[in-house]
Amino acid sequence: MTPTDDKAALIQARGLGLHYGAKRALDDLSFSVAPGRVVGLLGHNGAGKTSLMKALVGLHAVDGELRVLGLDPRRDRVALLQQLAYIPDVAILPGWAKVSQLITLVAGLHPKFSAERARALIRRTSVGLGDTVKHLSKGMVVQVHLALVAAIDAKLMILDEPTLGLDVLSRKAFYELLIDEWCDGERSVLISTHQVEEIETLLSDVLMLNEGRLVLGLSLEDIDRRFVALGHDPAAADAMAAAHPLLRYRVQGGSAALFDGAPPPEVAALGQRLRPSLVDLFVALTRRPEINRTQGL
Amino acid sequence: MEPWDHQLPIYQQLADRLAARLLDGEPAEGTPMPSVRALAGNYLLNPLTVSRALQALDEDGLLEHRRGLGLFVRPGARDRLRQAARARFLGQEWPALRQRLQRLGITDHDLDWTA
Repeated sequence: MTPTDDKAALIQARGLGLHYGAKRALDDLSFSVAPGRVVGLLGHNGAGKTSLMKALVGLHAVDGELRVLGLDPRRDRVALLQQLAYIPDVAILPGWAKVSQLITLVAGLHPKFSAERARALIRRTSVGLGDTVKHLSKGMVVQVHLALVAAIDAKLMILDEPTLGLDVLSRKAFYELLIDEWCDGERSVLISTHQVEEIETLLSDVLMLNEGRLVLGLSLEDIDRRFVALGHDPAAADAMAAAHPLLRYRVQGGSAALFDGAPPPEVAALGQRLRPSLVDLFVALTRRPEINRTQGL
Repeated sequence: MEPWDHQLPIYQQLADRLAARLLDGEPAEGTPMPSVRALAGNYLLNPLTVSRALQALDEDGLLEHRRGLGLFVRPGARDRLRQAARARFLGQEWPALRQRLQRLGITDHDLDWTA
């Protein structure tokens, strides 16, 4: 996720900034997204997730350098949108339309859309081609939407809070369809959410935003290497605290401390290594963003 | 679905779950393993995690590659798993259990051996 000059990168941002008048929405973001990745864009409400996604599809002018599929999203917006599968957070499908009519409609609008594939994807869901949108549940509508954009022959999908307001079964069905039908090792998807724990195991990479800044941009593999969580007995609490962890939190059956980098061996010996969860990391980094600013992520 | 625990890496936990199913004959020996994407969708895991789990099972000699067809359950996989589980029980679990039985003064007469 470190910014490189990699020609293969699907998204490349360097020193990306965005402001609404005097208000800074995005501040100096640098990251890249390679092919074959599942990237989670995590942040509290108002952290800048939607602003970033809009910038990526050319809906906002930005400062700095931004390339999406090798294009300048603002200048080459029309060309970009033909190569991109995008569901905005405010997406709606017309209530009067039958699913089969939507497929015909999109086929006429989008040059890279395959009606045949869309029908195959719809058949995987509990929705019928003859169903009318207004009679579908919210979870079904979102699945139809996913089937429509996943039928676009694209390298990159951008989903802004796709499962907001869905029940747990609908969310699972949505992600199952996404993983099984989209993630082929070549295509990438960028998903924004604030329901971190739900998609943690799906992700290959994480971008964490806090107040418009990127507090963490790393692969899950690198996160496991870099951050060390130690579960420990109450007796070891003082020693843990003295070693300046990023965060101390409760886990099932005791306490845990999260360190950026390996803690001193005498401290490590007092605990049992745990897999740090993204939620814990997120809490640690967004509560104290200054820790990362000084480390030049 | 059972949540993943916070200690072992997830690929290892998936490998353990898949091995437990193989021991129960699911899928049967000589039949194909589900695809990476099917497993990833089913367990809601990143495909890379699933690939690592399958690789671990492969390294344990439980799977075989068939050219052009993908991964299959290797004949003898269940026996291999059973042997490994037996070795683990006799080597690690039984000594701990025996110690506990001795501490509690329980002999084989106290135990109900009927299923």
